[in-house]
Amino acid sequence: MPERSLLASAPAMPRAALGWAGLALLAAVLALAVALTRPPLPGDPAVTQALEQILLWQSLVPRAVTALLAGAALGLSGALLQQVLRNPIADPSTLGIASGAQLALTIATAYAPVLIAFSREAVALTGGLAAVGIILGLSWRRGLDPITVVLSGMVISLIAAALSATVILAKGEYVLSLFIWGAGSLNQQSWDAVIALAPRLALGFAAALLLLRPLGLLGLDDRSARSLGLALHGARLLVIAVAVWLAATVTAEIGVIGFVGLAAPALARIAGARTPRQILLAAPVIGAIILSLTDSAVQLLGSGTADLAPTGAATALLGGPLLLWLLPRVRMVHRAQAGLPPSAPHRVRRPLTAAIWLAGLAVLLVIVALTLGRGPDGWEIATGAVFSDLLPFRGPRIVAAGMAGAMLGAAGTLMQRLTGNPLAGPEVLGVSAGGGVGLAVTLFLVPVLNPLYLVLGIALGSLAVLLVMLALAARSGFGPERLLLAGIAMGALCMALISTVLAQGDLRAYVLLVWMSGSTNRVGEIEAWTGVIAAAVLIAPLFLFWRWLDILPLGAGSSRSLGLGLTRSRLTLATFGALLTGFASFLIGPLSLIGLIAPHLARLTGFARGNHQLLAAVLIGGATMILADWLSRIAAFPYQVPVGLFAALIGGPYLIWLLSRGDTDG
Amino acid sequence: MRLTRRQMLALAGAIALPAPARAAGLRVATVDWAVLETLLALGVVPVAATELLQFHEVAVEPAVPASVTDLGLRGTVNFELLRLTRPDLIFSSSFYVSSEPRMRLIAPVESFAIYARGQPPFDAAVRMTRSIGQRLGLAEAAERYIAETEAEFAGLRERLKSHDGRAVIPINLGDPRHFRVFGADSMFGEVLSRLNLANAWTEATSYSAMAPVGLEALARVPEAWIVMIPPVPPDAERILARSAFWNALPNVRAGRVLRLGSINPYGALPAARRFARLLVEAFGHAGTKPLG
Repeated sequence: MPERSLLASAPAMPRAALGWAGLALLAAVLALAVALTRPPLPGDPAVTQALEQILLWQSLVPRAVTALLAGAALGLSGALLQQVLRNPIADPSTLGIASGAQLALTIATAYAPVLIAFSREAVALTGGLAAVGIILGLSWRRGLDPITVVLSGMVISLIAAALSATVILAKGEYVLSLFIWGAGSLNQQSWDAVIALAPRLALGFAAALLLLRPLGLLGLDDRSARSLGLALHGARLLVIAVAVWLAATVTAEIGVIGFVGLAAPALARIAGARTPRQILLAAPVIGAIILSLTDSAVQLLGSGTADLAPTGAATALLGGPLLLWLLPRVRMVHRAQAGLPPSAPHRVRRPLTAAIWLAGLAVLLVIVALTLGRGPDGWEIATGAVFSDLLPFRGPRIVAAGMAGAMLGAAGTLMQRLTGNPLAGPEVLGVSAGGGVGLAVTLFLVPVLNPLYLVLGIALGSLAVLLVMLALAARSGFGPERLLLAGIAMGALCMALISTVLAQGDLRAYVLLVWMSGSTNRVGEIEAWTGVIAAAVLIAPLFLFWRWLDILPLGAGSSRSLGLGLTRSRLTLATFGALLTGFASFLIGPLSLIGLIAPHLARLTGFARGNHQLLAAVLIGGATMILADWLSRIAAFPYQVPVGLFAALIGGPYLIWLLSRGDTDG
Repeated sequence: MRLTRRQMLALAGAIALPAPARAAGLRVATVDWAVLETLLALGVVPVAATELLQFHEVAVEPAVPASVTDLGLRGTVNFELLRLTRPDLIFSSSFYVSSEPRMRLIAPVESFAIYARGQPPFDAAVRMTRSIGQRLGLAEAAERYIAETEAEFAGLRERLKSHDGRAVIPINLGDPRHFRVFGADSMFGEVLSRLNLANAWTEATSYSAMAPVGLEALARVPEAWIVMIPPVPPDAERILARSAFWNALPNVRAGRVLRLGSINPYGALPAARRFARLLVEAFGHAGTKPLG
């Protein structure tokens, strides 16, 4: 077995290596069990015997080998990215490589099938490179600061996911292949994937070994590396290109396999790997073992003809909790603490007057959205009879969008103050995705699509995730980096559960997909009133908690010394945050970035105190969503673009722009 | 034309109630494709329907006249536009339950459920055709269409007399490695049993289809006719052609692979008839030239 010899070459970690050797053995046993427990083929023995041979050598064995190779490629890709970006949470999924490749393949499948027929890999690579190119371009000015890179990656991923959902909805009949692909499935009937992966893995590995010395230097900070005479950017870009290539090939061959690229290097470090050389050797082995174990498990637990769940979803299901459990044990050694986004350059002198201006802007947007639109004969300003005709359709969605934006603004402010982490938000902490899991569970348990149950399901899912995140943060005193990592892990875990449901491709999948795309189109009076009441009931009391909002970000010590009941205040605010997120994502889906962006914009405009930031974030969130809703209605008339997509398209680039110019301001 | 008892009753109903008789001139709109094809089959041109570009590609027939307004995606019906087309009646389906209150603001809504859990879709499609006919004062046309459907099936069964008795597995390739399979509870499954053909897929499916199934599952049905329903992914044909596994399948070696034209898997009677007709035609060709 190749794994043994590689592990043996890293003598610095004998005990952990023994454990991993045991796991490798388990993986081999499970793979064998898969081969032995297949139900026999029906029919004439003379025919089935030949068929069994074909099945073994053209399906089972290539599948097992593909799992090993793909796992190794992802592990290597993650290790390279983490090393070169000096970023413990970099991997093909956090950098948007997988989403970029997925979006490119989705668009090509739907609109330019010739490209897919030409080369799946080339399409995926183009998408992956484009995503990484955008992310690196945006974070270049901040010296590829880890947090900026990962945040940009997440924004790109969210936009790509929203675009993909939109394309799938627009091209309904292609849904199936895109779902399978998105969930990452390892079924094989030939050696094609092995033939594609093996040489690329070998080349990538060779390149990684050649770049070992420069990689070691890249672990130092920029100034020291440059003084050693290394062509820093050239080496960096080369390593990144190799990593993207590996990840894009895996994505093109078998789809999105979440987590392996993130978990493998992390587990390697936990196992005791210290030097870049040790990590580069151990991560591919560990990645191969993880993916092999997972793939055997879904086959053994499946029905014999169909797997229990797509393997890519299962890796995230297994890897997510594993990573959450391991997080407190991750040592983030020899890494400079990442810089946080800029604070406000100045404070608004009269916050209330400024807030009134913001409210005025929101009202103006409402008027535009109510009257200006497109009809069969082009642009129209609705007045009189036409206005009252269209009001029952335009009114509720504008109200719902505005209220959802306001609630997300409030929820984001709460979460950022609560965790003391300026990057927290419903989307970043996986809270919105948790709502999706709640919705999926509700869809399975409740036969009738009752809106009330759906809201409850989303709210409970959101609350569960938020409580887990808070418990994690509280127990280990997570810094921003770890909380972000935990949030990304949680989000990936939840999205994996959701994609398992989506892979079923039935009515429930359709409901989930429409929800994910974040369309306000189905919103009626009931939903609009739900939004108004929820916003009023949940946002108004928050202003009573102004003291908590001001004190909590100072940290546990200061909060306690100021006489704050820490558990009670945190739990109260968390419940409010989860309910706000639940109601908002019921109305506009999970993908908008408003919950992250609105509080930022509020702070950057100069609303510094808790109360003022909250008020401004509520207004900014509401106004942005109303604008997004209007754009979604008119952009591709009569076809409608989901509003969540537009919100992400408005908010995402703005946030990245703010982050990228931050170093000049503060 | 001889009328059955049921048809007589339907006719009597149509005469007794004045409303449906007057309804012939109604401006009808629909958000559902199964209703759309039924309307067109009965000779009714709706004022508006959804996603017409895709309908032309997927359902293919019946042709949609240019006068029908496109209401946008099935998932996000443009209600403003629906309002502006001023329908008198909107036909909906169980997929749109949550949007019904919105549509009621525009016009009365009548909803059908062909595809529901645990309900055979063919009979539901017959019932829907009949209800639409009665509602629009076209009960006679509806009964005629249902009778035509039965007659066409009888004719096709006759043509299948010489069939080899092997089962059929209707699949839709998702990518070169996976398919979704249509079970007994799908419209395709129901059409097969009405043609006296067995469905080779005997495992349970929910909401008509099961997905994703690895291509290697086809080794479990070596005798069956593999019937491929479009869309076929662009690279699938190329990859399958040189796949050792695919070419080793007894069905493929014996040429028991049929490629049909595009059919809406969630259609009504017109889609069922189209599937039956294309399938029997494909069987006819399969006898003369090798496939696979």
